[in-house]
Amino acid sequence: MIKPKSALFHFVVVFTGVLLAFYALDQLVMFAQGLPLNWDLSPAQ
Amino acid sequence: MGSLLKVLGFSLSLILVFTLVANLLPQLEGEAPVEEEINLGELTMGSFVALGEQIFSGKGTCTLCHNNMGRAPDLRVDNVVENAQKRMSDERYQGKAIDVEGYLRESMVEPGAYVVAGFGKKGSNDSESPMPKVLNPPIQLTEVEIDAIIAFLQAKDGNEVTVELPTDTPVMADKTGVEAPQVAQSAEEVLAKYSCTACHAVMESGATVGPGLKNVGNRLSANEIRQSVVDPAAVIAEGFPPIMPPTIAENMTVKELEMLVRYLTQQKSE
Amino acid sequence: MLSPENKKRLLLKLATMKYKRVSFAGLAILSLLLFSLTPSIEHGSLLAEVNAEQLTATQPVQATATKEATKVADALTGATLTGAPRTTAGDYPQIGFSSRSIVWFFAQMHLFLAAFVLAVPIFVFFIEYLGVKTAESRYDDMAKEFMRISMTAYAITALFGGALAFALFLLYPHLMAYLMKVFGAQTLVYALLFFAESAILYIYYYSWDGLKYGNRKWVHLSLGLLLNVVGTTLLVMANAWATFTMAPSGVDAGGAVTGGIWEIIRGPLWNPVNLHRFIANIAFGGAIVGAYAAFKFLSARTLEQKAHYDWMGYTSNFIAVLAFLPLPFAGYWLMAEIYAYSQQMGITAMGGILAWLFIIQAVLIGTILLASNFYLWSGMSRCDGSKRYQWMVKYIAGVLVLGFLIWVTPHTLILSSGEMAQLGGSHHHILGPLGIMPAKNIAVNLMLIATFLSFQLFRRSDKIITVSWAKTGNLLLISIYVIAVANIIFLGVYFGYFTNTVYKVGSSVAQVCSTLVVIFAGVTIDSMMFKGAKTLPTVWGRVSDRAQYALFALPVAFTWLMALMGYVRSSIRTHWHVYAVMKDNSPDNFIPSIGYAGNMITLVTIAFLLITLFIFWIASLSSKQQVKPVESAGYRQQSIEVMGKK
Repeated sequence: MIKPKSALFHFVVVFTGVLLAFYALDQLVMFAQGLPLNWDLSPAQ
Repeated sequence: MGSLLKVLGFSLSLILVFTLVANLLPQLEGEAPVEEEINLGELTMGSFVALGEQIFSGKGTCTLCHNNMGRAPDLRVDNVVENAQKRMSDERYQGKAIDVEGYLRESMVEPGAYVVAGFGKKGSNDSESPMPKVLNPPIQLTEVEIDAIIAFLQAKDGNEVTVELPTDTPVMADKTGVEAPQVAQSAEEVLAKYSCTACHAVMESGATVGPGLKNVGNRLSANEIRQSVVDPAAVIAEGFPPIMPPTIAENMTVKELEMLVRYLTQQKSE
Repeated sequence: MLSPENKKRLLLKLATMKYKRVSFAGLAILSLLLFSLTPSIEHGSLLAEVNAEQLTATQPVQATATKEATKVADALTGATLTGAPRTTAGDYPQIGFSSRSIVWFFAQMHLFLAAFVLAVPIFVFFIEYLGVKTAESRYDDMAKEFMRISMTAYAITALFGGALAFALFLLYPHLMAYLMKVFGAQTLVYALLFFAESAILYIYYYSWDGLKYGNRKWVHLSLGLLLNVVGTTLLVMANAWATFTMAPSGVDAGGAVTGGIWEIIRGPLWNPVNLHRFIANIAFGGAIVGAYAAFKFLSARTLEQKAHYDWMGYTSNFIAVLAFLPLPFAGYWLMAEIYAYSQQMGITAMGGILAWLFIIQAVLIGTILLASNFYLWSGMSRCDGSKRYQWMVKYIAGVLVLGFLIWVTPHTLILSSGEMAQLGGSHHHILGPLGIMPAKNIAVNLMLIATFLSFQLFRRSDKIITVSWAKTGNLLLISIYVIAVANIIFLGVYFGYFTNTVYKVGSSVAQVCSTLVVIFAGVTIDSMMFKGAKTLPTVWGRVSDRAQYALFALPVAFTWLMALMGYVRSSIRTHWHVYAVMKDNSPDNFIPSIGYAGNMITLVTIAFLLITLFIFWIASLSSKQQVKPVESAGYRQQSIEVMGKK
């Protein structure tokens, strides 16, 4: 029987969530200073 | 007692380490600028250019930003004259300079007139300049010093030097010591004494802060000129900032004023 | 309906609650009034609204300028405003010693002690409150002991303050006359506030045992709050004078007063300096009392004493490092405001003549971080539960050492001309890039995260987590740490070396935010995970003597660092008394070399060290009681000194 939520899945979910959170942090903090970024985090100006 | 000595010993050793580091580093002293009298009689273009270089890294504090760290154009390595010509023909250029000398002077006196792309204040999209105005404190260069810097910037890449050697006694900012005010004996002396050349293009000056006076006789009558000196705020020439000092006439003698007005009415183009 | 018993209980509860609420609310309002009114007392000068732009754009003063102050006619009203005096070298009284050194000494000593006496009531207030909440007497006893140390320091602070004032008025009379004219009656308000500070301080300390429980304890806490409000008001008022000399506001280009007192106080650097000094004071105060605790630990004779002072040392280190963590960010804000006010001033500080100084700062902060981390690791011996985290210590140490080395690497190498020719420049090809800010920002942020990790591990050492979601919680924490570190490195490398200046500078803010996320998440998630946790015993006192030396290294480094930063703050004014307004024409109007400054700083640090030992001694002295000697059969027994009641 396959465990519905394996440890690896658990890990991937949490890790990806945190990764997205920090990505959003970077975008937000740079934008708030008048230095917008592209999707790939390169400078937009 | 034993622990006290151990603690003291440890603390003093640590303090010694910090002191040692401080004394091993390069020792530099920040000299305050010393006022020097320039002997105009002995001045050659060569020594004037050298003076400009001295001021560039000294009193002018230019090298604080104008270096290879990327904060401002590296004037030491750039061909300043070529760049000036390029920038004056840039479509973004909104300043009032018509030649390289005027551009360089404008860059120092009114840096906000044009900001080279990429060097503007953060977030201002190159519309605001972070450079201070050199005529103001804390730099407070005099007209002669600005001319010297322009001469240096032109000469260092082998370009033609267009500034002329100063012939009047320069009015030095914050000259210490009491000086009894001398009544000017000619219109030229009046212009120098009240620092008109700092902002107005007249005699040898090419300043662009205020309206040029080289043919003011064409534009204004004697009364209008007189009013401009006595009450500068009454009429402001279009396109110029309302910054002419209102107190010039307070110290001027009547004789000086009349000499000045007569001289300026005679400044006409042929 | 309630029974008479319960009714009584409820009424008592209401009465107590009402008292607490009323006393605190009342105090809050009083504090607000005090804080807002005292600095704003207007002085009666002509408050013409002059267009500052008009005056700044005018020519420098005409050649007829004399020693008298510049007289400028106000553009609108025509009234005469007197500006800053213009001095010559002869205007400065000379007494055979460098005037600047004398003022420097007194000012720095005053600031050390003032920082200490302002900081202690801040964390004492929190510790006392903690004592009320947990009902553990050890918190209250420690709070009182901290205050006792502060009391002795208070008098010496005032002595140096007086000496400083005398030195300033004697040696820089024109500057002081001008500053008095600018700040006017506010200076008297400052003096009068000391009456309030002294009164409240003495009442607060001496009423400690009399206002110990119940309602009265709340009265005592209110006094502590009031003491902090007055102290903070004094801090910000004095800060206004310092920041005015750096970035004058409320005056025109010639120095004539054109704004109200609030405009003069609230210059662009006032609040950054307020925040920085407020936080730094707490860190400094914590470090000093930590040294006290360490010293008492080393000289303790009973296990009980050792346990007490070990715990005190831990708490002090905790306060010092907790306050230290946000300090780089407060300092960053201050530097950013300095740059915004005057690029020149900013570059003089960090890119010009004073740049080398920040390498020493790196050495000092490296010392502070290494010392406090070492103390935490040593402290893990107090609890057996720490053994499971022991393996991480070497990696944290590695990060700290590597970070320190990167931080201390200069951009420009100290080379002779021959060496420079060999190298092909003054920068090393590989290590050179480590000398600029992006690398240092990475290093600092990682060092702070590593330090926080040490804390977190210590906090976890004595607990066995029992919540059901522990696995997810731990996974979350690990992810946050790993991704934050990766993010900081990415931001530093990419934006630092591959984009332009503005993006480079902006990315450091994102790095700081990442660090703050780690700290905030670490504290919050752990607090949630500790609910219902099993506690393992902590043996206070079971720590090596070696660890106590870390608690001495901390205040020594802090003190030297504080004096070093004072040298920077003062020097970036270059040859101005009041920047761009009043020139310094004294014989000492040059920025001294870093070696000279280092020697001065060492002098004040040693002086402060000795005074601190004196203060600790006095604090201990007050609790000593000589036992009355007993005479028996022709000879006297030796009198025995006993540690009396605290």
